Amino acid sequence: MSDTLLEIDRLSVDYETARGDLKALRDISFDVRKGEIVGIVGESGCGKSTLISSILRLTAPNTRFRQGEVRFKGEDLLQLPERKMRNLRGADISIVFQDPMQTHNPVLSIGQQMLDIQHRSKTSKPEKRTRAAKMLGAVGIPDPEARLDQFPHEFSGGMRQRIAIAMALMSEPDLLIADEPTTALDATLEVQIIERLQELQQEFDCAILFISHHLGVIAELCDRVVVMYAGAVVESGEVREIFHDPKHPYTRRLIDCDPGHIKERARVLPTIPGEVPDLANLPGGCIFRDRCDQAMARCASEVPPLAQLKEGHHAACWLNHKEAAE
Amino acid sequence: MAKSRSELGQIIHGVARDPLGLMGLIIVGTIVFCAVFAIWIVPYDPVAMNIKDRLQGPSAAHFLGTDQLGRDTFSRVVMGGQVALKVALPAVFGAMAIGLTLGMIAGYGPKWLDNLLMLFFDTIRSFPTVMFALAVVALVGPSLQTVVLVVMATSIPTYGRVARTQTLTLRNSEFILAERSMGASMKRILGVHMLPNIVGVLAVLAAMDIPTVIALEAGLSFLGLGVKPPTPSWGALLKDGYSLIRQTPWLVVGGGLPIILATLGFTFLGESLRDVVDPKLRKQR
Repeated sequence: MSDTLLEIDRLSVDYETARGDLKALRDISFDVRKGEIVGIVGESGCGKSTLISSILRLTAPNTRFRQGEVRFKGEDLLQLPERKMRNLRGADISIVFQDPMQTHNPVLSIGQQMLDIQHRSKTSKPEKRTRAAKMLGAVGIPDPEARLDQFPHEFSGGMRQRIAIAMALMSEPDLLIADEPTTALDATLEVQIIERLQELQQEFDCAILFISHHLGVIAELCDRVVVMYAGAVVESGEVREIFHDPKHPYTRRLIDCDPGHIKERARVLPTIPGEVPDLANLPGGCIFRDRCDQAMARCASEVPPLAQLKEGHHAACWLNHKEAAE
Repeated sequence: MAKSRSELGQIIHGVARDPLGLMGLIIVGTIVFCAVFAIWIVPYDPVAMNIKDRLQGPSAAHFLGTDQLGRDTFSRVVMGGQVALKVALPAVFGAMAIGLTLGMIAGYGPKWLDNLLMLFFDTIRSFPTVMFALAVVALVGPSLQTVVLVVMATSIPTYGRVARTQTLTLRNSEFILAERSMGASMKRILGVHMLPNIVGVLAVLAAMDIPTVIALEAGLSFLGLGVKPPTPSWGALLKDGYSLIRQTPWLVVGGGLPIILATLGFTFLGESLRDVVDPKLRKQR
């Protein structure tokens, strides 16, 4: 068996809407290896959330899987019966959501909820409680035994997110999906959460699929990064490679827009002009063409393929075509 | 088990700290106490007639006087309380249980089932309660069970609709999605996670519904459609007092006052309960 844990292979997902099929994901391919942290970056509406709900198969009813496979440990999750899929969720794959204020049941104490998610384990109630307290301790909640009896509203946002992480890691999953876990928190807490995730990843040795639109966090945490734009992968590779030598104009612009990268004081922060194309009526050719300052005639007619530039570095742009051919 | 008891204690403590809640608690407690120990409290047999002492005012022997058949009014008021609770409690809790189940199915189940159940609810709601009761009583005759069934049937839609709305809101909430992403089954989501979120709201609704049902039972008995005549009921007392008001006002007082007190008591309790069971409000007090 290879060390590939999750393999997304040419996945295309549509949403059936009144305006026609919204092509939310097109031809997505990437993989996550065991014990690795992979980041997914992209602006709002680029399909990050569709991607993770597709992996977990918790999609909206109007979702249609057009093609492709989501292989987890070699098994295609899209073909799995619902029962088997359910047994996988929370056991082998678990997830931390974006808004910690919403992810806990408001009327049950944290302890009740942490005991409840151990429903698969055959251990006794006191044992489950001890385990829950241990997990709370592991994410840095002081006095975990006593705090188990408290309700979600008695915790701060940062604590709630750490509790969510503790819950997600309780079953020692092979893959943890973190859906913008720090977006709803302020900057200091963000650093805390990131450091905690790093420590826990070492301890539990799980792979993390980390979704964010914050490049700084991705650079800090991830081994590899996948850049998405309008439902497609435009570039993927090692974090160092992507940040130091971006090959796709979108990645380049994205890095330029990161306030952490701006050297001089500016009145107006740089942005990428234009808008994401309408996913229901996709234009032909390269999807980034309208916003790209280096667009060529070829970009209008042909879709650039995701070509390998170096070992593990892929980009979908005609600018690299000569390099890619060599 | 010890934990849930302490939680109940917490709720009672919270209600008792609120002046109106305390009043509600005392009134409801008194009514329940009288109903439970009625046979030891009543000084006379509430159905024993004594024509010699009919239509008396309050005296040492007859606390609230006697009616046109010489029956002791106080004994009938106390026993009437028992009848009122015998109707109200099973009707409200039965309606709550059925309404909750159907409402959750409607809210979480497929769209067609939701439509079907809503059609069912709307059909029931389109009957005026008293007319419906008249029809049923005409069909099967007046009895305690008939009143319970009529009241239960007509209040199921109220609970069902509230339960359905709550379920619909909850099913799209992030913590339910989180729960699904943790691999919880539908049974677990509905039973462990949604139920406690809904039951609090419904319990408050039920506490506020009990006085309505008590008044409804009194109304039906007043019309002669409630419990059968020799059985004492607040409504029947009112009815007798109404026709005899020129001879003695005490029957109207004996029948009317407990209805007013019960309505107020349960309403205060319900409102106070609503503030206390909400865990978000619990911390602030």
